[in-house]
Amino acid sequence: MRLTEASVAIRPRSAWEAIDLGVLLARRHAGLLMASWALVTLPLFALLCALLWQYPGWAIFVFWWLKPAYERLPLYILSQALFGNTPSLKQALRALPKLLWPQLLASLTWRRLSPTRSFDLPVLQLEGLAGQARSQRLVVLGQRDSAAATWLTLVGMHLEVALWMGLVALFYLMLPQQVELDWTWESLIAASSGQWMWLEHLSNLLYVLLLIIWEPVYVACGFTLYLNRRTALEAWDIELTFRRLRQRLTGSAYALLLGCAVLLTQQPSNAWADTPPIVSEEAKQADPQGPDAPRLLQQPLTSQAARASIEALLDEPPFQHRETVTRWRLGEEKPAEEPKPEDVEAFLDMLKNLLKLGEWWKSLDVVAQVFEVLLWAALAALLVFVLWRYREWLQAFGDRIGLPTRRRQVAPQQLFGLELAPETLPDDVASEAERLWADQPRAALGLLYRALLSRLLHEHRLPLKQSHTEGEVLHLVAGLGQENLEDYSRQLTLHWQALAYGHRLPAESQRQGLCQGWRSLFGQERAA
Amino acid sequence: MSETPENDNLPVQEIPAATPSNPQAQQRQRASQLAQALRAELRKAVIGQSAVIDDVLTALIAGGHVLVEGVPGLGKTLLVRALARCFGGEFARIQFTPDLMPSDVTGHAVYDMQSEQFKLRKGPVFTNLLLADEINRAPAKTQAALLEVMQERQVTLEGRALPVQLPFMVLATMNPIEQEGTYPLPEAELDRFMLKLRMDYPQQDEELNMVRQVTRSAKADMLEVSPLRTLLQAKDVLALQKIASDLPLDEQVLDYAVRLARATRSWPGLAMGAGPRASIALVRGARARALLRGGDFVLPDDIKSCALAVLRHRVRLAPELDIEGLSVDQVLQQLLDQVPAPRL
Repeated sequence: MRLTEASVAIRPRSAWEAIDLGVLLARRHAGLLMASWALVTLPLFALLCALLWQYPGWAIFVFWWLKPAYERLPLYILSQALFGNTPSLKQALRALPKLLWPQLLASLTWRRLSPTRSFDLPVLQLEGLAGQARSQRLVVLGQRDSAAATWLTLVGMHLEVALWMGLVALFYLMLPQQVELDWTWESLIAASSGQWMWLEHLSNLLYVLLLIIWEPVYVACGFTLYLNRRTALEAWDIELTFRRLRQRLTGSAYALLLGCAVLLTQQPSNAWADTPPIVSEEAKQADPQGPDAPRLLQQPLTSQAARASIEALLDEPPFQHRETVTRWRLGEEKPAEEPKPEDVEAFLDMLKNLLKLGEWWKSLDVVAQVFEVLLWAALAALLVFVLWRYREWLQAFGDRIGLPTRRRQVAPQQLFGLELAPETLPDDVASEAERLWADQPRAALGLLYRALLSRLLHEHRLPLKQSHTEGEVLHLVAGLGQENLEDYSRQLTLHWQALAYGHRLPAESQRQGLCQGWRSLFGQERAA
Repeated sequence: MSETPENDNLPVQEIPAATPSNPQAQQRQRASQLAQALRAELRKAVIGQSAVIDDVLTALIAGGHVLVEGVPGLGKTLLVRALARCFGGEFARIQFTPDLMPSDVTGHAVYDMQSEQFKLRKGPVFTNLLLADEINRAPAKTQAALLEVMQERQVTLEGRALPVQLPFMVLATMNPIEQEGTYPLPEAELDRFMLKLRMDYPQQDEELNMVRQVTRSAKADMLEVSPLRTLLQAKDVLALQKIASDLPLDEQVLDYAVRLARATRSWPGLAMGAGPRASIALVRGARARALLRGGDFVLPDDIKSCALAVLRHRVRLAPELDIEGLSVDQVLQQLLDQVPAPRL
């Protein structure tokens, strides 16, 4: 094999480009390839038809099964033609018996259905490898282009079927119409009589004929895929370039070598950038203005001490991370145990027991009902508990979440710690207050204020609440628009506040005024 | 007359009536007149925000800090500048920006090459009245620089605790957190503010009045604070604070304040309640309000009127109510409506 004489340009190609090259190769040598193929296969098919006339299906199956045997011839022709010495038809046919025998059995039995048949064939036939060496070689070759080879076979199968059906249809179209009608009926009546066997053999022949066209292409494509893979693996293209270089330079190489030798004998001189000038450590230390010179010597912390502590600090985290990682690892895996017969029996027993249990459960319907009732009761209890747990929240914001709360106007019975119900008040408040002024002034003023609030609440319908302060009550009274009541309320509230929070008693004259004010405001109302 | 709080528990009958000739009462009367004059002066400068002015004066008299929140352009900074104008002490202002450093607030040590020594350079917090403008435009790192000085009235620089001069008051302004370019204030910082005030848009007639005044002013679009009089000095503020803290307070009123603060902790609808600082702030605020009102003692109304400002930044709304769109103020108003007023 001399790569320089190859008739194709050797360079790394993509797989599809290599297949394309195969088609081209087959077309260039089409005559020789088809003729040799036809000369080998047609007599064989005739022989098979003669032997198996009654079984046309079997005949075509055997022919199809033997395909790897005929494929060796086109490959031989192509491999010879690639390097220029295309064999003649006679030479090719003469070489056939030698090609046929090696590993024929393997090719026709367990390797017959390999999807990468045409890609693998050159390893067997051209490299002559067998057994372990062959399979290793195939693994290396198949690392990249085996997918393309598989697709090639797959597409080839479909192409064969399509071409065969096309030929059959063409044949059918060529029939005269009367014959066609005749056939239809007669074939229905005498389908199994065997008179129409020749027709099946004819369709088999069509298949054999189309193989004459397709098979050389298939073999050529597999061969170029193989070539492409070897080009990539063994760098044939680079080798070729080097060979061309050698041819070109053989004459001038000696002069070149001499020139190089003369150049290399000269002593190289020292370059400026060769080695940096060596400065000794002492010189560095001696420089009084240098960055390493000791400074701040009057301070408690000198620069040297600072430098030492900085270096110590830089040696610790977070500047230096040293960590030791300890991790758990899984132990040796135990092989899965085979299930013992006892285990199987135990499993079956368990299944039986489960079935029995189901029957037993049916008898426990009453218990189930009891549990159902219990669960419903638990749910109800949970709801009640949740409502009770969040009752404050619901009271505060219940109206916001749309709970219809009835607004009841219940007047508070107590305000600021004072009893406000009208029944608790004496009939004549002013007289009672006057009586109390002498020994219990606080009680007297408290009574007046209590009575005022009670009146406001029950007669003027003021919406007083527990949270209202005295000032807010006054503000509400001002909203009523009764000047007399407002004045009196302000006066009374001021005295009440002074007593309650400032601990001051009203003067003697004011006491009288308060009682009088009460009588003038509420006395005549009571009388009326 | 014995008005000291220790005597609060004594039976009422034994306490004689107040006599106006008492020197303490006269002093108190003068103090409250001074406070009211200050209020009137501030109202001249800041139109239509009388509630906020009252609250700021409350904090000044109670010795607390104030956080004023409001959308831009409602006169937050103007109010503080007006207060600084009426106040004779030192005034400093820090404009909080996203790149402000803590040392820009508190001060820092500078290395002196000559003496090979560090020298302290005090920051703007060493003053009487500190305006922290747009405090939430700085990240939490810078805001935290104020923590120590606000609570302890001292700044620790280079390991030395330096006291700031009294009275010391921080007035911080902020935009609502929903606005662009703001950082939330940490809870510890919020808790140190005695009051958080909300500035709302002024009423129509007040706005009319304001626009009239501003457009008459020489400067482009701001109200002037220069015509305001200086009414009080640093020692006057200290005296006001002293008088306010001496105001008598009934046990029941104290109890009301504590009950209000405690109610926030168990109130449904509040995820986080107010701490003891809230109770303290309620009582101090009520005392200041009583003085501002001209009263001689503290009423439950004083507590209630400053409760919203004291509590609103110390509680956190429960998420479900937040989703419903309720505001903290609404929930706190419900709480105030349901906690009973003092009983006697």
